[in-house]
Amino acid sequence: MDLNYTPEQIAFRAEVRAWLEVHVPKEPLVTLECREGFDQHVEWERTLANGNWGMVTWPEAYGGRGLDLIQWLIFEEEYFRAGGPNRANQNGIFLLGPTIMEFGTDEQKRRFLTPMAKGEVIWAQAWSEPGAGSDMAAISSKAVRDGDHYVITGQKTWSSRAAFADWGFGIFRTDPESKRHKGLTFILFDMNTPGITRRPIRQLHGDTGFAELFFDEVRVPVENCLAGEGQGWNVAMATAGFERGLMLRSPGRFQATAKRLVELYQKHEAQASPAAREAVLQAWMAAQAYAYNTYGVAAKIMAGGKIGAEASLNKIFWSELDRAMHRTAMQLLGAAAELKRFEDGSINPWLEGYIFSLSGPIYAGSNEVQRNITAERLLGLPRIGAG
Amino acid sequence: MDFRFNEDQLTLAETVRDYLAGTHGPEVLRRLDAEGARDPSIWNGLVEMGLTGLLVPEAQGGLGMGLVEAALIAAECGRACLAEPLVDTAFVGVPWLLGKGETTELARIAAGEVKLPLPHAINPWVADGVGPALTSVDPLRILSEGSGGEDSKLLDLAALMSAAQLVGLADAMLGQAVEYAKIRTQFGQPIGAFQALKHQLASCSVAIEFAKPVVWRAAAAMEDGLASAPGHVSHAKVAATDAAMLTAETAIQVHGAMGYTYEVDLHFWMKRTWALAGAWGSRAFHLKRVDEAVLGGSLAIGPEHTFA
Repeated sequence: MDLNYTPEQIAFRAEVRAWLEVHVPKEPLVTLECREGFDQHVEWERTLANGNWGMVTWPEAYGGRGLDLIQWLIFEEEYFRAGGPNRANQNGIFLLGPTIMEFGTDEQKRRFLTPMAKGEVIWAQAWSEPGAGSDMAAISSKAVRDGDHYVITGQKTWSSRAAFADWGFGIFRTDPESKRHKGLTFILFDMNTPGITRRPIRQLHGDTGFAELFFDEVRVPVENCLAGEGQGWNVAMATAGFERGLMLRSPGRFQATAKRLVELYQKHEAQASPAAREAVLQAWMAAQAYAYNTYGVAAKIMAGGKIGAEASLNKIFWSELDRAMHRTAMQLLGAAAELKRFEDGSINPWLEGYIFSLSGPIYAGSNEVQRNITAERLLGLPRIGAG
Repeated sequence: MDFRFNEDQLTLAETVRDYLAGTHGPEVLRRLDAEGARDPSIWNGLVEMGLTGLLVPEAQGGLGMGLVEAALIAAECGRACLAEPLVDTAFVGVPWLLGKGETTELARIAAGEVKLPLPHAINPWVADGVGPALTSVDPLRILSEGSGGEDSKLLDLAALMSAAQLVGLADAMLGQAVEYAKIRTQFGQPIGAFQALKHQLASCSVAIEFAKPVVWRAAAAMEDGLASAPGHVSHAKVAATDAAMLTAETAIQVHGAMGYTYEVDLHFWMKRTWALAGAWGSRAFHLKRVDEAVLGGSLAIGPEHTFA
């Protein structure tokens, strides 16, 4: 155990900080969940790519810098310190990218990773269906083999970024006789393929970040299948592992929120309750704990380990932490909490953040599902319905 | 930067865990409860393993290890609900003496000939000391009247090692609850198949998983002599106490009425948890120290300050 940064790591931090201080937009971007904001965020992805900061851990051959996970954590810490925008391509760089790295052919890596790192192709995910939410193995959208194509028919929903994205990925039932986890295949598709209809879904804040997708005999080349026909469930579980376990929510995000919460508390201290004060301290403690744990996971992976079902613990922890921090902020704001813009015209980030935090315990597998996974796979309790 | 235990540290912890599992199981706790809480043969076993000399420099006959190893072993002592005053003497007393440059007793401590009661103003008692007896809810703790000075290093060391024991205690209680939930059947199935129990136990897992690295971080901060170490120790004590108290309450709930009996082993671990939760600074005491660090501004906070 060595909790000191090397001189190289310290120099790397300084390099990242210097670049971000120059390039991070001074004014916050419009929300990613509308056309204008999406375009602004894509522009930011390209700015990052021009600085070669798109995805620092990827090999140089695929548009990355070939850096290790500690350097990635340093990059993320500095990114959130600088108030960097949300990543428009998080479905790509944090979820699909690592999945292609693990399961893709060389051809697929060449074809998909570099444009992803460079922000040229923005990805949407297409997991859920109307009848397959928490129970993802109930997927019924079909992909039928026809020569060198799959013909996809069905419906996906809650597809993040699908309102505006260029490409999508999801799992489809390729074996019509199959049930549950078997007979599923992981397929990548161009969102502009004939037969795909996207219907943006208006979210509770009024904007449209996700969409329904309708597939009507959509022809997708067979080479867009990842890891072979019938392997979809295993590949999807690996993707979910990246999502829950490490990449999607790096600790810097929560440490930055905790710091802002401390500042908010200090501004409202005269009216704040002792309970709010304790909640603020709890926020800092939990965000730090999450950071320590992530450094431990990173060290484990760098030594050749893997993320298993413990990814579920992570997802429960950060999503409930995020909600608690924003709830505390809303309490501190009191009557001003409901204002979308404060009296000085600035956006109320805590209201936006609170609404977004409510989705955390739902997306990437609801926390109820994560607690089932924890209980069954980590603790070894019997599966539901076992006699 | 490498936030992992090395192979040697993990092997050491596993060896101690196996040894205590084999020699200090629930039947031993029951015997100590019935016949007297201290047993020289248990102490001698710990001495033979070299644990009393874990932090004693090699020149004085010890193993010369550091606080990170000690915290890891203290967690194992918690897991085993160890009654002998190993943690106080060897993992708190020894580094405290070393910090003061007092080395004369170290060889005898390593040899198991001296135990160190640790009086401090923060506690209204002395554990394993002499003086008029006080009665703890924990039948295996030996307390006497008395209190000492306000040495801050002693307090930090003892709070750190209490936190380490608490995460071990929490692990053990979670394990006991899980095993019980697997074998107890109601409504025609093991009660552990019910989500109402699964979700409570999973929440304990989350709390423990995210308390442990805080404890290890605090141990490393003390080992490295960081000025910020007291804040990290207090963070560790709060996180470990919360995880252990949640797990204790969940574990008794999972055991149902059986958990309320003296017959089920759980109560030994639960009572040690209650004792250590308040020992060496209550939750309020440690939360106040975190408050001073975070809101008081003595600790730099934000994403770039994970380890600084």
